[in-house]
Amino acid sequence: MSRRNRGNAGTTYVNNVRGPTSALTSFLNERGIRRANPAPAPPPVATPPENDNNNDDEPTSPQHQAASPSSSSSTPAPAFSASRPTRAARLTRGRNLPTRSTNVSQSNEADGVDDDSDSDNSDDDSSDSDNKNLIPIAISASTTRAVRATRSRVIAVASSSSSSSSNAVASSSNASSSTAKAKAAASKKRPRKKDASDDSDDEDFHDITGHISRSNFSHKGRMPQGSNKIVFCSRCRARFTIKAGTTPAVDEDDGGLLCPTCAGTGSPGPSKNALPKAKPVKRARRKAQKAEIECQIPSLQDLCIQKIANSIEDVEAFGDISDLSLDKICKIISRNRSLNADTLQLFLDARHSELILYDCTDITAIGLQNIAQFCPNLRSLKLKLCGRITNEVMDYYIEHLTKLTSLMLIGPILILEHTYIKLFETVCERFEKFELKGSSRFSLKAIKALCDNCPNITHLRLGDCNLMDDGWLEPIAGLTKLKSLRIRNPEPDKLTTPAVVKLIQAVGSGLEELELKGCNGLTDEVLVDAIRPSCVRVERLNLSGCEELTTEGVETLFKDWNVNPGLSYVNLENCVMLKDEALMAVTEHSGATLEEVNLSGMDEITKDALQTLTRCVNLMELDASWVRAMDDDIMEQLVEAAPRLAKVTVWGDHRLTECCSSRKGLKIVGREGDYVDLRFL
Amino acid sequence: MAESEYVTLESSDGFQFVIHREVAMLSGTVKNMLSSPGHFTESTEGVIQFRDIKAIILEKVCKYWYYKARHLNSVTEIPHFEIEPEYALETLMAADFLDT
Repeated sequence: MSRRNRGNAGTTYVNNVRGPTSALTSFLNERGIRRANPAPAPPPVATPPENDNNNDDEPTSPQHQAASPSSSSSTPAPAFSASRPTRAARLTRGRNLPTRSTNVSQSNEADGVDDDSDSDNSDDDSSDSDNKNLIPIAISASTTRAVRATRSRVIAVASSSSSSSSNAVASSSNASSSTAKAKAAASKKRPRKKDASDDSDDEDFHDITGHISRSNFSHKGRMPQGSNKIVFCSRCRARFTIKAGTTPAVDEDDGGLLCPTCAGTGSPGPSKNALPKAKPVKRARRKAQKAEIECQIPSLQDLCIQKIANSIEDVEAFGDISDLSLDKICKIISRNRSLNADTLQLFLDARHSELILYDCTDITAIGLQNIAQFCPNLRSLKLKLCGRITNEVMDYYIEHLTKLTSLMLIGPILILEHTYIKLFETVCERFEKFELKGSSRFSLKAIKALCDNCPNITHLRLGDCNLMDDGWLEPIAGLTKLKSLRIRNPEPDKLTTPAVVKLIQAVGSGLEELELKGCNGLTDEVLVDAIRPSCVRVERLNLSGCEELTTEGVETLFKDWNVNPGLSYVNLENCVMLKDEALMAVTEHSGATLEEVNLSGMDEITKDALQTLTRCVNLMELDASWVRAMDDDIMEQLVEAAPRLAKVTVWGDHRLTECCSSRKGLKIVGREGDYVDLRFL
Repeated sequence: MAESEYVTLESSDGFQFVIHREVAMLSGTVKNMLSSPGHFTESTEGVIQFRDIKAIILEKVCKYWYYKARHLNSVTEIPHFEIEPEYALETLMAADFLDT
């Protein structure tokens, strides 16, 4: 992005400026040099452009002195409107600026900007607007010229008009001859660059103003050949960018790359020779990465499922396929948004005892009612995103699904309190699992009806229920058979610590899973007074988003917590106050049993604590996103220590490079290097 | 008993596919059939009959096995395995059965 910006800005105003992108861009912005808004009060052309240019021994024509906008590149301007009507006509829409001559753009395209000319926006009626608008660009040219003069790293190679680029090479006094040659060669290589400046102008405009229209976006256009590369300095570990066509300094001691600061030179000297070398290396690595990611060949089942899901509309009946395949197909078409009343029929069969529909948005109430009609033997029904389910449909279910023991509803916005009560009164003792998310009608009365009528509930999951408050917890405390309790995202300050402590003390001894996600008002007492003494069997603990928890609390919970044999799943996502000691206590207690750990957003964690994760020899999944201490070294230790590790999520861990160690079957999600590379395919 | 390098798979409509044993072993079901401890005809003679898989489907499955064997440890880009949509469902049933 920024590179492109620079490249195009360079094409237009400051040809061949190779300074640091951000500095130049900010300078341009500071001065208000942007094409959309030319300088408001333009003084007459003041600065004689030759003064501050070092390589100004090219012939200066009278035109040039007078008003040529292309003086920025020391190019004698061709007559604008008269001799080059086509060029002049190629004004970019929305901007009253004259485009420069073809020669300028092509001879200064030395840094390999390879714009794809997919849009040809020419307003043919504006051939005379050049003269009107000469002043703004002349100013910007002179200002940017000043910039150029002040930067030691800038190499201004300007080829003089169309005549010959070799002249320019000879004339550039301060540029190193090799660079100049390379540039000359480059400019010779692509002699036809007709539309480059026009098209890039347009995108350039978007870039500067920050309005990138999505329809115009294309990866190809965005990142031309030889893109930038992000690497880490071997000495100071700082991250820096190797610009395309430049070679970074190399550390003599260990052969690693050095950032400009450590290299001491101030800037990586641009050298064209590096470009052809650097590219294949990058390609090879990217291919290796891709292969690493896709090392597993999809099974024939999955290939078929994909194919079937893509043409689900043409399928008449599934026939004899396994339930697993059926579920996979259902998932895929839910994601494709092609699960509707028609395709739903494919999944309905009297022999099914379980049904999961992942997206019921497109299924009408009648379609939903059909479920009970075609699958009367359902024991478990899960309907996600079921906003269209009505009280009538629910009544129909209550009447016809006589074996139902487990019900999950996500987003049943139309179902009212009395329907829930009727449901609980009907299902009574056989009801075992109930999950409800996103309902603002479910009330205290309903939860009371649930707890009074259905004493055999083992799994209770309530999330995003607006009416939930401390009063709900009292009836729940009477459910003595609870094995899994999930309370997620209550309204802020509705659930208080004393009430939660009381609930956990009542039901905690049976719990195998406890989730208090997003209960952000809870304090350490929940850990110390409730979970530690009561939850002796708990294996899965999710405290994500409980921001008030402190390091001391977590430490107290896990230190010598001998009554609990060890957790298999711990989620401390966004417990932002927790420090190293908390994680150390967790791994100390449950190191041998942990299989899944989520540390996302725990920014205080350092390398010392992450290293203790190597105790978790059974670890299979780790989410260490935004834990910025995560680096290649830790990764290597983890890969060695945990042979079953299958997935590591590392969003925002900028110290983890694409070089970090991995192995077959291990998926690393969110590694920056991958995305940088894949994005610029 | 020296095991033959090849096994024969016979489809419901009588076509025979003679393929490498190790390739056929990529299927969990075939592997179990060929290496079960009892002396079944399948394991002794190396001939397996599939009574409900048609030749056109079995051919596809054999192709997939070779595709998989060919690319199992390759580091280069893996080409896409093409399945005709009209056979996808039947192939899925066969794949379910063969654990492939």
